[in-house]
Amino acid sequence: MIEPADSPAVEPFERIQCQWCQGMNEKAALACRACGAPLDIRNLISESGWREAPRIRDMTEIQFSSSTCQVEGEIVPVAEINLGPGDSVFFEHHVMLWKEERVAMSVMQLAGGLKRAFAGMPFIISVAAGPGRIAFSRDATGELIVLPVHPGMELDVREHAFLLSSHQIAYSFVRIKGLSNILFGGQGMYMDRFVTTSAAGVLILHGYGNVFERRLGPGESIMVEPGAFLYKDSSVTMNVEFQKLGTGFFGGTKMSLAKMTGPGRVGIQSMYVHHNTE
Amino acid sequence: MFCVSCGTPILEEQNFCGKCGQTVKRPAPPSRPAAVPAAVPAGARCNWCGADADLSQSACPHCGATLKLPAAAAESGWTKLPARKDMAKLQIGNSSCQIEGQYVPVADMNLAAGDSVYFTHHVLLWRDPQVNVTSMSLKGAWKRMFAGLPLIMTQAEGPGHIAFSKDDPGELIPVALQPGQSIDVREHMLLAATSTVTYDWFQTGIWFSTKNGDDTETHYPVGCYMDRFTSARTPGLLLLHAGGNVFVRNLAPGQTILVKPTALVFKDPTVGMQLHFEHPGAQVAFWRSWGNRYLWLRLTGPGRVAIQSVFERLEGESRNISQWSNATTTRW
Repeated sequence: MIEPADSPAVEPFERIQCQWCQGMNEKAALACRACGAPLDIRNLISESGWREAPRIRDMTEIQFSSSTCQVEGEIVPVAEINLGPGDSVFFEHHVMLWKEERVAMSVMQLAGGLKRAFAGMPFIISVAAGPGRIAFSRDATGELIVLPVHPGMELDVREHAFLLSSHQIAYSFVRIKGLSNILFGGQGMYMDRFVTTSAAGVLILHGYGNVFERRLGPGESIMVEPGAFLYKDSSVTMNVEFQKLGTGFFGGTKMSLAKMTGPGRVGIQSMYVHHNTE
Repeated sequence: MFCVSCGTPILEEQNFCGKCGQTVKRPAPPSRPAAVPAAVPAGARCNWCGADADLSQSACPHCGATLKLPAAAAESGWTKLPARKDMAKLQIGNSSCQIEGQYVPVADMNLAAGDSVYFTHHVLLWRDPQVNVTSMSLKGAWKRMFAGLPLIMTQAEGPGHIAFSKDDPGELIPVALQPGQSIDVREHMLLAATSTVTYDWFQTGIWFSTKNGDDTETHYPVGCYMDRFTSARTPGLLLLHAGGNVFVRNLAPGQTILVKPTALVFKDPTVGMQLHFEHPGAQVAFWRSWGNRYLWLRLTGPGRVAIQSVFERLEGESRNISQWSNATTTRW
């Protein structure tokens, strides 16, 4: 629980800072307006430094520009958006669960679309424009991670892991560098990159299982299972390294792990396909 | 019957447990109808199943929903399945059913003598040895086999315990059917039903075919057949299992909503279904414009509909659709 403020007097400008996204909230708020994290629950940080992503309470509302998003369900959560006029969100179309008929649909033209089609990425990103309601879910148990993105932020996300993003955020993709990173990185050739330019926006990811985040200092590194990588600040570098596991017989086996080096945030998921032990 | 304190089997004539000495408490004779509160306060109804409920109880005896909590309704009109306490117990005539676990829930039925339930055999988790399991013949076996529906339903007769689960994280949906009430359920959703519920099926009439050269393939986004369960004279209980979280809403007459076809769980028979194609707007016309078309199921009220948040990938959506059942199209 948040400790009561030192001064009992009512201060009109008192605010609570969300420990997950650093957004400021009114004192009476139970959940952060910007990311939905419960404000009355302390950050859960393991001794090793991983922070558990906040479990968003059922039916929590999140606001961005003139729209609201409600997160419903705790097994396979649904993000339901009430789009204000002029607001829009973009996503991969197979995550749509239901919509009102009046929500207008269009597609986003992407540079290099053909290359991506060959790489098995969605060729087309769909856009839904308000006013109206539309809801999204992904086909597996897990958590919704709400990342408010402020101007100047750049995030790299595992392909197909983003559920939706608000229109203020620019979407592109980066080729993962290095052949061994592609072959043994466990996530294909491309990563989604989200960049905010002038206005703040919201990015909602779906992680399989539970999601954990840690902030790496400059030069600090951590080795993670490539299949578990979910997102990172673009300032974090990722390199797949091999570890030889000797069995005493013949050649033994090799194991690949992604070396993430700071500065910046790294997010991982606890359910993943284990790729290419070779 | 078993000893309540140590679980040792007890014979009919025993008054004490042979192992631990516990006095045997016999349940009321099963011929007596289940205790129904004599005076139900006016307007005391379960929000979820609509049955009369005694508000002094914490959970609805027909469907297990917590009575004192308001339903968690989203602003858009969808309601989450009612909160159900772990180990909630439902009463069906002389039998009862306890719902255990909240991740992959188990329906644990305590069948009274003469009561029976039917189910598809792969959902059986465990049973008492004395529960009699037989197969139930179904009409139209050939057609069912072609449609990929279970050919054989298994029937279990009390007295004794039998438990069911499906191997998926999700929610268990108890649907209490009042006499004369029917419900349409998408195939493979049934966990178990009491034998007072009759089981029938009908063709959905929702299909489209895709063409690739000379190959034509027909797809059924909500299944070729849909199950229809009806309670004829006595109230019945239907236990469904859906993946992920389940949301329900009531559609007013003429009100429509577009849902992902594979997310549908059940609907009232009064709710109409229709295919809907939506073409998003784009600056450039693609030569393969169907590649980014969305396929929806339009549900039209009046009636109740339920969807699940986990759904299978819809097949054939982005291929060349050559023919389809009655559908509408929007081009943005």
